[in-house]
Amino acid sequence: MDAFHYLLNGFATALQWQNIIFAFVGVLIGTVVGVLPGIGPISGVALLIPVTASLTGGLPPEEAATSAIILLAGVYYGAMYGGSTTSILLNTPGESSSVVTVLDGYPMAKQGRAGVALAIAAIGSFVAGIVSLVGLVFLAEPLSDVALKLSPADEFSLMILGLCALSGLAGKSVTKALIMTVFGLLLATIGMDNVSGVARFTFDMPELYSGLEFLTIAVGVFALGEVFKTILERDANEGEIAKISRILPTKQDLKESAGPIIRGSLVGFFKGIVPGSGATLASFLAYLLEKKISKNPEKFGKGAIAGVAAPESANNAASGGAMIPLLTLGIPGTGTTAVLMGALIMYNVQPGPLLFDEHPTIAWGLIASMFIGNLMLLILNMPLVKVFAKLIETPPKYLIPMIVAISIFGVYAVRVSVFDLVLLLICGVVGYFLAKNDFPMAPLVLGLVLGPMIENNLRRALTTSNGDFSIFIEKPVSLVFLIIAVLWISVPLIMKMRGKKVVVNVEG
Amino acid sequence: MNQTKKWKKWSGVLLTTAMALSLAACGGGGGQTAAGGGKAASTYPEKPIVITAPSGAGGGLDKTARSVAKVMSASKLVEKTITVENKPGGGQAVGLADFVTQDKKNNYKLLLPSTPIIINNLKKEGNSPHSYNDMTPLAQLTKDYGAIVVAAGSPYNNLKSLMDAIKADPTKVTVAGGSAPGSLDHLTFLMPAVKAGIDPKSVKYISYDGGGEAIAALLGGNADVLATDVSGAGEYVKSGKVKILGVSSPERLKGTFKDIPTYKEAGYDTELINWRGVFGPKDMTPDAVAYWEEKLKAMTQTAEWKAELETNGWDDGYKNGADFKTYLGDQEKMFKEILGLLNMAK
Repeated sequence: MDAFHYLLNGFATALQWQNIIFAFVGVLIGTVVGVLPGIGPISGVALLIPVTASLTGGLPPEEAATSAIILLAGVYYGAMYGGSTTSILLNTPGESSSVVTVLDGYPMAKQGRAGVALAIAAIGSFVAGIVSLVGLVFLAEPLSDVALKLSPADEFSLMILGLCALSGLAGKSVTKALIMTVFGLLLATIGMDNVSGVARFTFDMPELYSGLEFLTIAVGVFALGEVFKTILERDANEGEIAKISRILPTKQDLKESAGPIIRGSLVGFFKGIVPGSGATLASFLAYLLEKKISKNPEKFGKGAIAGVAAPESANNAASGGAMIPLLTLGIPGTGTTAVLMGALIMYNVQPGPLLFDEHPTIAWGLIASMFIGNLMLLILNMPLVKVFAKLIETPPKYLIPMIVAISIFGVYAVRVSVFDLVLLLICGVVGYFLAKNDFPMAPLVLGLVLGPMIENNLRRALTTSNGDFSIFIEKPVSLVFLIIAVLWISVPLIMKMRGKKVVVNVEG
Repeated sequence: MNQTKKWKKWSGVLLTTAMALSLAACGGGGGQTAAGGGKAASTYPEKPIVITAPSGAGGGLDKTARSVAKVMSASKLVEKTITVENKPGGGQAVGLADFVTQDKKNNYKLLLPSTPIIINNLKKEGNSPHSYNDMTPLAQLTKDYGAIVVAAGSPYNNLKSLMDAIKADPTKVTVAGGSAPGSLDHLTFLMPAVKAGIDPKSVKYISYDGGGEAIAALLGGNADVLATDVSGAGEYVKSGKVKILGVSSPERLKGTFKDIPTYKEAGYDTELINWRGVFGPKDMTPDAVAYWEEKLKAMTQTAEWKAELETNGWDDGYKNGADFKTYLGDQEKMFKEILGLLNMAK
């Protein structure tokens, strides 16, 4: 088989000793980057470009490019492994793509199942990594063609499906979830509009031109909100520390997560291939899907293992999927792949339709190295689980300052702006009061992610159709998404109404 | 910004102390040290330099900025590290606003924008309040041209057939571009369209976040036509995925593009040049301005830079700071006129 033959050659490249070292350094740094909030994969990769340039300076150009891209890609998918750690242990998302992991990861940690959660995140990431790589090897070309066919109307309807699914994130009240969703969408309009270039709600403050930073809001409402809660509501269980009952997942845990991992991998992989969507949205969609099809949806948000397995698999698969448009078309689908593309160009390697013909060593060497790198990450992360899991046993008086320090450091590192620190504190206070009154936070942050995407795709779709809204039901893919969205909302309602009727009848 | 101010204050204090000390040393009959000369012979640069590309990674601006960084360090012209930062959004307006307001005095920040910053400042909708006058032009580096591109399987084989089709029914043809309405990609298409007698307001134009997403829309069949720059389309022409119907250059291009007619040859008497250049902040100190003017000129003469131009399909458009500024003034006048014609001027 052709692809197989090329892949073998790729392994020959990836298994050269210097490339093994480069892959290892890459995934190691990636894990660290993932653990630290603020330093995301984008800045991690960008920061390392000059370093790798000097490291590979002595090699011939083709080999230098291969080694450099192996290291940089390692940072990228390595970060997806590390991102879950602080989400689970400290309620502080390490990456925006791990925001949804806090919903069940942190409750698991509180129940003393931090080790299990971390281990499942690592295993899920590994499986997802391999799934997306197999897809990359055998299906790259046809899949990227399919992904390109998705029109703005299809994208819009998919986002609407995402919004409808939001009710699934509601805590006690659907109304409150909807309020938070709209609040998130409103916050998302702040900044320079990408379609017309008009500044909205910026009040001439340049800090607001690029909008509110997503991670700042997420860390504020989740991590700092929780910190304030712990400080202000010192209840009886102060000093009581979650004991770790078990590090490795039980057979039952593995059985429960197998489905979510596979489904999460597929959702993430396909979302990753579509340019301009990204891992954050993939993780949310995977989580919502699991909650929807679960037999015990009420367990979600209270430490369901599927709520960790699915999003963590999805974000990792998305990073693999995003490599497809980058390598086969030269179209970066996410910020990080855009930086990777910049790095390749620095080595005079133009990613795009000609990459696999002109530079087979680089393309296949990279793919093979990702197999090796994912294996390294699994081996690296499993022992680390024990070390990290111990962290949760730290008494609150040490843990709280640590969370505050990590949050502030992380948020500051994103844009080096004091404005963001003030915003972080405000979000922390707001998050505390909202959470106290049972307003769920997840719809807020998802609204913030979805807002600009919904808006831009809506405007593009309507331009195409000359302002005719029927485009959304004329396009078959879009129609399917919309039907699912309607069913998503209506089926439970109808069932509930029927259920009620039955009850009424019995009473009558 | 505050930090730089503080740093400046402190460096001033230090310098004064050093001079006082060296004076004292002179008085004592000791040898004059270099400390006193510190003011005359500039020590710039003392820190790593950041070039901001006001676009997403992977686009033409980003590529140019990364090429500058690469050539400067490969040819050892600049010893300090140069990193490239991306500030996408608003068709360069976000990056420009950020640069003009945040880094007014920061000698270690450069901006690498292109023609849209002039257009943004002139157009009515989505006006950007900042102009090239809010910065210090250091050098123009490249010239690029607009291109009208269709997919390889498109029924249109020349500009005329495309323009005729739009004239017949403008609702049938969707034009995609990587920047907002009224900005460069849009004008790339509208300038010949106006000459063809098409009402510019009837053209269906969809803006994407950067050339990458726009070309994805063309390849995926979600747009019929793509207005972009020549250099961004080269790779796709070579792989046979797209065909270019016309380019906005005054004369025929070379290499890959030698068979493509210019707008003028196709019968539309108009041209559009997209420059890319390097700017410093408005209050850049004279020593830093002199440093970059010299280094950028030297860079454009290196073999490495010429190789970069060659591989990317860019035209050498070097102009020094003063000439660049004059040229920007001329271009501003021209765009004011065009936008006026389109009824899109401020």
